[in-house]
Amino acid sequence: MAKSILAVDDSGSLRQMVVFSLRAAGYQVTEAVDGQDGLEKAKMQTFDLVLTDQNMPRMDGLTLIRSLRAIPSYQRVPILMLTTESSDDMKAKGRAAGANGWLVKPFDPQRLTEVVKKVIG
Amino acid sequence: MASKNLLGSQVKRLLTSLSDHGNQHLTEVETDLVQTTYLLSEAIDKLSASFMKVHQGVTAQQEIMNQLQGGAELTPEIESQLQVLQGEIAQNINAAVTGLQFQDMTSQLIGRTVRRIAGLRDVLTAVSSSSAVMAPETQGDEMVAMLHDINKAMEDQSNKLESVLWKAVSQTHMESGDIELF
Repeated sequence: MAKSILAVDDSGSLRQMVVFSLRAAGYQVTEAVDGQDGLEKAKMQTFDLVLTDQNMPRMDGLTLIRSLRAIPSYQRVPILMLTTESSDDMKAKGRAAGANGWLVKPFDPQRLTEVVKKVIG
Repeated sequence: MASKNLLGSQVKRLLTSLSDHGNQHLTEVETDLVQTTYLLSEAIDKLSASFMKVHQGVTAQQEIMNQLQGGAELTPEIESQLQVLQGEIAQNINAAVTGLQFQDMTSQLIGRTVRRIAGLRDVLTAVSSSSAVMAPETQGDEMVAMLHDINKAMEDQSNKLESVLWKAVSQTHMESGDIELF
């Protein structure tokens, strides 16, 4: 059975690129338009991995991660940030919130797939 | 005499602040627009190159397919050539996917620019609103106090604007970014 991934980003074109890359590698990808939407979808189904942007309306990525980590079924689910933010300060905040990795945009589809494979197989 | 000196000092402060804050915000706008131009230009170059290479690869594949359909034998060399072409096409599609992400980055930069311009308009509105209560015959200490308030309103508004506009996009190239696993 294909592993499931929740892709959270307010940019429709970026989500399209993530879906294109990960579906081609055999993953099942569900899209969410911002952190709030992502949290609602995550509560309906436990995904194998969450890939989230940082700067989004309604709820940002760090708040989403903290909210997910508060849910028992998401305490061990890998969460990766995919964002334009690249400062050490932001990375430290992401790590403290519970992120397992930090990917700086723009991403290369092959490298993204390699990382996802490494994390969830 | 003291009042005149204070008045001069407040007017000087107002003009200097208007110039400094205006320059500071316009310089940021200019920097973001230049960065947007770099990213757009590089993305278009990369997308054009990827598009042409994908087109060349597909055309070469089609030529081989035509030869095979015409009865040519599928030799190990042709098979390997097809694999190489397939690999090149996949590589160029990946490069195109990276280039296509320009929209995400440039829209963030443009959004920041729009918010800054709107904020700058609010700064100028704050100056205008404060000066609207000033009667033409106002002078002396009253004028000094009013100018002091205008200066404060403008500086507060400008600093508030600066504090909410963090720079989320530092990229100036469309190369794929760093990956770090914790």
